[in-house]
Amino acid sequence: MSAGAFELLKEKSGFREFRLLSNGLSVLLFPNRVAPVATFAVVYHVGSRNEAVGHTGSTHLLEHLMFKGTPEFDRAKGTAVAAVLEAIGARFNATTWFDRTNYYETIPSDALETALAIESSRMRRALLRDEDRVPEMTVVRNEFERGENSPFQVLYKQTFATAFREHPYHHPTIGWRSDIEGVATSRLKEFYDTFYHPNNATAMLIGDFEELDALAAIERHFGAIPPSPRPIPQVYTVEPAQEGERRFTVRRAGQVAWCGLSWRTVEARHADTPVLAVLGNILGGGITARLHQALVEKSLALSVTVVPWQLRDPALFSVFAPVRPGVEPSQIEAVVRQEIARVAAESVTEAECEKARTQIEAEVVFDRDSTDQIAASLSEAIAVADWEWYADYPAHIRSVAPADVQRVVLEYLHDDALTVGLYLPKPAGSPVDSEDGGKEPS
Amino acid sequence: MSANAPHRAPFAEAVRSRTLANGARLFVLENRFNPTLALSGSLRAGRLYAPPDRRLIASLTAGELMKGTARRTKLQLAEDLEGRAASLSFSSDASDPVGVDLGGSALSRDADLLLDALVEVLRMPIFPAEELDKEKKRLVGAIRQQQDQTSIRAYEAAMRRIYPAGHPLYRHKGHERIAKVEALDRTDLEAFYREHYGASSLALVVVGDVDAERVLDRLEAALESWTAGPSPTLAAPMVPAPVPSSETVEVPDKASADVVLALPADLTRTDPDFLACSLANSALGQSSLTSRLGVRVRDTEGLTYGIHSGFSATHIAGPFTVSVTVKPEMRDAAVASTLDEVRSFVAGGMTAKELAEEKSSRIGRYKVDLGSNAGIAAALDAAIYYGFGVSYLDEFPAKVAAITREQADAAFARRVKPDAFTVVSAGTFRAAK
Repeated sequence: MSAGAFELLKEKSGFREFRLLSNGLSVLLFPNRVAPVATFAVVYHVGSRNEAVGHTGSTHLLEHLMFKGTPEFDRAKGTAVAAVLEAIGARFNATTWFDRTNYYETIPSDALETALAIESSRMRRALLRDEDRVPEMTVVRNEFERGENSPFQVLYKQTFATAFREHPYHHPTIGWRSDIEGVATSRLKEFYDTFYHPNNATAMLIGDFEELDALAAIERHFGAIPPSPRPIPQVYTVEPAQEGERRFTVRRAGQVAWCGLSWRTVEARHADTPVLAVLGNILGGGITARLHQALVEKSLALSVTVVPWQLRDPALFSVFAPVRPGVEPSQIEAVVRQEIARVAAESVTEAECEKARTQIEAEVVFDRDSTDQIAASLSEAIAVADWEWYADYPAHIRSVAPADVQRVVLEYLHDDALTVGLYLPKPAGSPVDSEDGGKEPS
Repeated sequence: MSANAPHRAPFAEAVRSRTLANGARLFVLENRFNPTLALSGSLRAGRLYAPPDRRLIASLTAGELMKGTARRTKLQLAEDLEGRAASLSFSSDASDPVGVDLGGSALSRDADLLLDALVEVLRMPIFPAEELDKEKKRLVGAIRQQQDQTSIRAYEAAMRRIYPAGHPLYRHKGHERIAKVEALDRTDLEAFYREHYGASSLALVVVGDVDAERVLDRLEAALESWTAGPSPTLAAPMVPAPVPSSETVEVPDKASADVVLALPADLTRTDPDFLACSLANSALGQSSLTSRLGVRVRDTEGLTYGIHSGFSATHIAGPFTVSVTVKPEMRDAAVASTLDEVRSFVAGGMTAKELAEEKSSRIGRYKVDLGSNAGIAAALDAAIYYGFGVSYLDEFPAKVAAITREQADAAFARRVKPDAFTVVSAGTFRAAK
């Protein structure tokens, strides 16, 4: 490694953050010798949040095309990215979400060079050929269709589309169907050229490695890539305050209704984020949780999921439940409202808070059982805030008290900030008379 | 690349084990990198041992174990475990007709809490009637929810077609299962528990930041007085001859359809051909991105997001299936391409390059999968459950390396006859043009 190729920016809780001076690539190292294995991941600060009408889903479609070829890793030459990674036994994938796109591979630690070569190659040298996009568009469209098969996915997508009108969280990461079908390869290329640069990315290496060797290898593979020629465009759209309850209904054929209640809350960096996480656990974390007791144990819902969404911009606090057949969905809504009102009026107990704090802190400890789990958690933290947010999270959780929980309920979980969504099975309309399907109970 | 890469002693040396007089087998591996532990285990009380017309007694008995013991109610147990971020689960389903899976995790400071709860639940469950009533209501709803899922509808219909009623892999229709659930009461579960649970088929694996001898002592003290129970035999059902057929299950309002191509395959996990078949399958269809089916049907033709093939081999020989999701209009094209690829694979076998890549992939993935306490516990548990012993983990890479192309091709072709598939689709085809 050439002397001074990296600047050490900060270290904390076992993490060391460097900057590659030649191009601004952020590099995060976390040695963890649990096994002769390492996870290398690159997080790009681009997600569906950076899209607009006409090219929704582009970030995700582009992520698919990133497997299709670079000059060095090309199916036509028998060196497709996936084939090369598969041959070394890597556990690998890429995922796209509101605030980021990530590419990762967990590998035997002696195969690190392969991972670095692939990620370096596709950072700036993806071929993005139209002949690759055409068949991949229908692959992604089938992924979209699979999502549409799921009542839960339909409900949460519609929830975001209703709660956000101006901010790009309005549209789902997979995109709208007609945008997936219609977007041109040139638009994807433009997107790639705008956002895929070292100064808009964080590379992380977790697991079994020697720091000096690893930094030298990272410099060798990434050091020559220039920074972006123009500043990375920033999202400036702000969702205004919600000024009244919103409701929607989706009706499709099916057996089971779903009910969802979501309130507008805060961005991940906000000081109330850990409080909302504790509230989420008290309401939905396990059999002992309040909403499990009030809905599942009372045989009103089949299950209940509470999601304190943590995103870069202000997000939602959601409760989703499939309704037990025979129960009116309005009963679920009423019970959730009662339970929220009970926290607002009476707060929560210290014992509940302690259970929640313990569980959330333990998740961070369990993360460290495997390199890919740390990488996954860290990717999300980097996308919505930064790595220190992850490192400091347990301490912030530890400081949450019952009075804080009551305060955030009063502050955020009120009716004016609420979106209620119902997914209702259509009354048995068109007869279904196939040998099997027609005989199912309805 | 690390000069100090963690060196692991052979598992056969590092794993401490003990077999109790009642037959219970205990295995502990100290892995002190992180203050956690993972628990994995099994006993033989799956649906194979339940009456053929009421197989679901086995899964309900396993599922209801945590609903209360002679010492603690369900809620007390949950409070004690959840309060310490520990988890414990028991499950049994049709994917393995023989076993009940035990799983758990905890911070290592709570190892005793987890082990004590495990033994208490295994030894003194009380199957409270009110809990079973709640579970029955939930399950009826869950079965109805499954009727909306094209993947489940296609798979279950395929299993009905390729296995005879009474076979442990046969799946009843949703409304039949609902009737069976509604007819159950707690005495059914209690009787099944009495007849089929006991130490003789129990194997427990603990991996993590623990003192191995201490864990063995604690488990021995808690389990040594447990009844041995039955020694479950493996009366493996006959593998039926394939009778190709096809069926379309209409599920309304579904944008994506699921297609399952299935045939009964004569392959158990303990069959000497298992690894050879498994490597051949990896080349054919394990990965949507790199296997032949994925490269053709997804990557080249763009017909699907996901296509996978695989053997379902446990102590019981299960089906070989190819599953693919499609836009309903593209079903016929996807099925034709799939069958075409299977035919040419069976006729021509793997290439030398494919075999070499599948071997290096399997050996590399094996290292990656052993990268966590839970991963090691699962691998040890499986090796013990299938009677291979702890040393299997040390021998695995050599076993993979020894497989020849002739062996893999012949073993695969003996079991997968491209003209023997039953093809079931589930989705919205009526409106499709």
